[in-house]
Amino acid sequence: MEHLDHLAKQQWLIPLLPLVAAGIQSLLPRGKRKLSAGICLLAMGGACALALRAFFATLGHHGDEPVRAVWNFTWFAFGNTSLDMGFILDPLTAGMAAMVSFVGFWIFVNATGYMHDDENFTRFFCFLSLFAAAMLGMVISNNLLLMFMCWELVGLCSYLLIGFWYFKPSAAAAMKKAFITTRVGDVGFFIGILLLYWKTGTLNLYTPDGTGALQQEAIAKLITEPYFWGLTVAGFIALMLFIGAMGKSAQFPLHVWLPDAMEGPTPVSALIHAATMVAAGVFMVGRMFPVFTASSADWVMDFVMWVGCITAVFSATIAVAQFDIKRVLAYSTCSQLGFMVMALGAGGLSAGQFHLLTHAFFKALLFLGSGCVIIGTHHEQDMRKMGGLKKYMPITFWCYFIGYLALSGFPLTAGFFSKDEVLLQTFYKNKLVWGLATFAAFLTAFYMTRQMYMVFAGMWRGGDHGRGHGHDDHGHGHHGGHEPHEVPWNMWLPIAVLSVFALLMGWLGTPWLKGNLFHHYVAPHEEAPHHSNLVLWLSIGVGLIGIFLGWLIYGRNTMVRATDADPLQAKLGGLFTALNRKWYVDEIYEATIIRLTMACGTLFRVFDKLVIDGVLHAIAGLTKALSQVCRWIGDELLINGGFDASCEGVRGSGSLLSKLQSGKVQNYFAFLSVGTIILVVVYFFKQ
Amino acid sequence: MTPVPYCSIFTALTPVLILVIGAFVALTLDIVRLRRSTMTVRNRTLGMVSILALLGAAVALTRQFGLPGPVTLLGQTLVVNHLTSLFNLVIVGLTILTIVISMEGDVGRHVGEYYATLLFGSIGMLLLVSTEELITIFVALELTSICLYILTAFHKGALRSQEAAVKYFMFGAISSAFLLFGLSYVYGITGTTNIREIAAQTTSSTLLSVGLLFTVVGFGFKVAVVPFHLWAPDAYEGAPTPVAAFIATGSKVASFFVLVKLLFIGFAGMQGTAFCYKFSSGWTMLLASTGAASMILGNVVAITQRNIKRLLAYSSIAHAGYVFIGFVAATEFGATSVLFYVIVYALTNLGAFGVLAALANRAGGDDMEHFAGMARRAPFLSVLMLIFFLSLAGIPPLGGFFGKFYLFAAAVQSESTKFGLLWLVILGIAMSAVSLYYYLIVLKHFYIIDGKDKSRIQTPVYLNTALAAVAVAVVLLGLFPEQVLALLKGLVAQL
Repeated sequence: MEHLDHLAKQQWLIPLLPLVAAGIQSLLPRGKRKLSAGICLLAMGGACALALRAFFATLGHHGDEPVRAVWNFTWFAFGNTSLDMGFILDPLTAGMAAMVSFVGFWIFVNATGYMHDDENFTRFFCFLSLFAAAMLGMVISNNLLLMFMCWELVGLCSYLLIGFWYFKPSAAAAMKKAFITTRVGDVGFFIGILLLYWKTGTLNLYTPDGTGALQQEAIAKLITEPYFWGLTVAGFIALMLFIGAMGKSAQFPLHVWLPDAMEGPTPVSALIHAATMVAAGVFMVGRMFPVFTASSADWVMDFVMWVGCITAVFSATIAVAQFDIKRVLAYSTCSQLGFMVMALGAGGLSAGQFHLLTHAFFKALLFLGSGCVIIGTHHEQDMRKMGGLKKYMPITFWCYFIGYLALSGFPLTAGFFSKDEVLLQTFYKNKLVWGLATFAAFLTAFYMTRQMYMVFAGMWRGGDHGRGHGHDDHGHGHHGGHEPHEVPWNMWLPIAVLSVFALLMGWLGTPWLKGNLFHHYVAPHEEAPHHSNLVLWLSIGVGLIGIFLGWLIYGRNTMVRATDADPLQAKLGGLFTALNRKWYVDEIYEATIIRLTMACGTLFRVFDKLVIDGVLHAIAGLTKALSQVCRWIGDELLINGGFDASCEGVRGSGSLLSKLQSGKVQNYFAFLSVGTIILVVVYFFKQ
Repeated sequence: MTPVPYCSIFTALTPVLILVIGAFVALTLDIVRLRRSTMTVRNRTLGMVSILALLGAAVALTRQFGLPGPVTLLGQTLVVNHLTSLFNLVIVGLTILTIVISMEGDVGRHVGEYYATLLFGSIGMLLLVSTEELITIFVALELTSICLYILTAFHKGALRSQEAAVKYFMFGAISSAFLLFGLSYVYGITGTTNIREIAAQTTSSTLLSVGLLFTVVGFGFKVAVVPFHLWAPDAYEGAPTPVAAFIATGSKVASFFVLVKLLFIGFAGMQGTAFCYKFSSGWTMLLASTGAASMILGNVVAITQRNIKRLLAYSSIAHAGYVFIGFVAATEFGATSVLFYVIVYALTNLGAFGVLAALANRAGGDDMEHFAGMARRAPFLSVLMLIFFLSLAGIPPLGGFFGKFYLFAAAVQSESTKFGLLWLVILGIAMSAVSLYYYLIVLKHFYIIDGKDKSRIQTPVYLNTALAAVAVAVVLLGLFPEQVLALLKGLVAQL
């Protein structure tokens, strides 16, 4: 334990390294690309090493409670109230920090290739490092305040990076959309934090003496106190926190920002919008899990589970009918986040977190892979204009293929084990949810097969669409011919590394090796659901059926021309259009919430112009006028007699002495005496 | 009275002795060896000599922390305890930074005299901090002030400098007369010049009140509060920038420190009240009214200034007003918050003046227009300026924020049943909002407005390093205010 305490004390070093890197980046001149990349990679590598050291230190502990070490300190105090800060080292943190820094490192490597020709290379890495720092800070925080600060900071970085190419109107719109939508959730999160602080009186989550907000004593207090809507305080706090998670983790109906966020550079999509930040909501629910489990009497947990379930199915259906390679992955991410949330809602902390970790690896792999595809095809994102890339980009293909298997839940890959855990968890909780989740798993296998065939099989369809047509317009696509080409090593190496994990990582959570290792690591006190062959075989079955159907529709006769209609369109008709238009959610928002907000905005603007501005301008004008008057009377007129104006004249005509004799110093003394006399009068008048 | 061991006496006196020697060495070296050298060489060499002397003094000061207890010499003429040693260190630090700034600038032909006078001035400040006896206070104050008058005039060629010096001197002389007049009354009534013995004299008479009043007026001049502030804008604008920095920081620290001693110890029985529902005679009332006037006038007039040094002068008037809020609280926490604020303020202001000094020569002047587009010409110093000005405006998490915060907190806490001092706090907060306006205008010139001249400005590395160190200190004071405050609290409690 002592060793762990020691490590917990050093946790802050992990986010510090990328933070320092970001600071240096912000001062580097634009031209220093090599230096910039070097510093960032060094910092991320260092952070990764530290995180792994902490991770390995937490392994191998047995017992009913997960191993946990914290270090709290007082940031500053006013009177009797003090603001605390603190860091934590427990399995949840250790695993997450190791994943974020490790995946992050390889994404950084990939980004050096992807952003190679961008003129704002240093700015990109500055934001990216800042993001990594904030994300790691959130993961290691043992404190509501620090967590909230980092939570907001990752949101800010996401905003900045989505709009990295801010000159594109679509990117500018997407960055705003992401920021505003997640902000809706943040309000809930903030209310939850405030309530938790108010009711427990502490900002620390865990303390060694058991007074933390998530420990027995505080939680017991929260359960007994009723609140409104038939909820206990714990239930209400959990609900509010979950609303925050819904925004960050793109859960229905706050999911709309995530697909648009694909306007950002692809490494950003991989890091922020697939592996780490969107998982922050899931992580936060996991971190606050004691509050959630305490509210098990309420309907909050069911609510969490259903939101996850609906998101999983809903997004999976949309993903079926998308043509943009990154949008398919974006909806798939929504769907997978739904799986994680669903698992948490069903009470499976370890299942949710495990899926989070494996998903981070294979989804980062897929996104980076799609980035390679985009670069290799000279900035093409429309899958209809790809095809046959297996021949041109073999390395990318094989890595992507592994990611595809993992996501589809092909037996023995990482996604298979973790998805199976989730399904098992819901199976015992609610059969309907389980059924829907299995259906979503089927859809996942189907749309991924569709994507694989459209992108990699058949023949190259992109030859005749003209140059510079793609979305990622950063000047890369104008050399070389139209033929796709393999990407440089610094782009394929990361996906190769990640694909190893996507293939093998699932074994950490397999039920077949002397019990579920990951489960024992994260949540030893949680009762593991019994293994069920029905769930297992059904899950394998639907995966294979999905793949088979995909082959049936897209694999047997691949598209020939980019203008060909999607074969599914013929079969589904109007439904396909509805799916392609994302069930019209954006349109519904446009017609209702946005229009209402705009109307309110207009109203407020009028109020602002007339009332607030009027008052403000009046005050400002008065202050300025007062300032002028004071200056004339107090300064220029009485004392200086226009010092500034007369200075030149004095230089020519008079000596310093004459100026003194002109009475100015007497004025000084007069003023001084008057002041003194006033003080004397006031003093003795009051006595 | 127990005899003080010789080695303690020696430890107590060494810092001042080292500085005296250093000043004479600088003076002699200039006359004997350096007459024929170039100005740059003379400036750098003598600057280094002075810095060495100050570093020696600093080392000697740190030795004082090892003393077994407070050392008192010749009545209360020299009192050395941990708090005085700490503040002496602060003053030595400020002097070192002033010299670092000076080494780059133009100090006229009389380099040796310049540095010697600067060192003598700092000696006056050191003595001022470590005395509890009225006559020594006066003498030390005069030593400091006269050195500052001389230093103000060091731009021999510039008429402004001469005029500023003469104004400063005339005004200073009159207020010294006020101060001496007040102190003489105090002595006449109580029969002692020892601060602690004055406190023991409980006779509260009208004549003692006169003494108090005039003492406050005298110090009001030294720290530049309304209505005794008139010298400040001219002196700041006319004096060479390093000297202005020295006036605004070193002399303020010493004056505020001795004022704390004088009022909190010597006149402890005569504090009166300054609550919104009850004004009664005493020094809190005096300080509350002058402080309020300073906050209003300083901030409001600063808005229309175009010259940055003049703007800083008005801002320092306003800051003196804030500091008085801590005095008015009249509690131990109030005194602590005053000392904390003074340290933060001195560091920040010195940094701001330092950046000005470094850039003004190449920028062609110290009006705001000269600094347009400076962020592109001197990005590093511009960042430092940003830190200093935001700290002056009181933006968290910089030191200036917590300085103000503690002052206001002390005022609110001191009478927390009916919140009698809330009016001062509200005024202070409102005026801080006003101050943000003019601080941001300066920063706007640095960062947003484009200037005509776009050439890079190169500044020497040692200067950048020194200023960066100050900025780091300002940031650290904002990040770990609690530790510093706890330290000061402990030391004030022993006073």
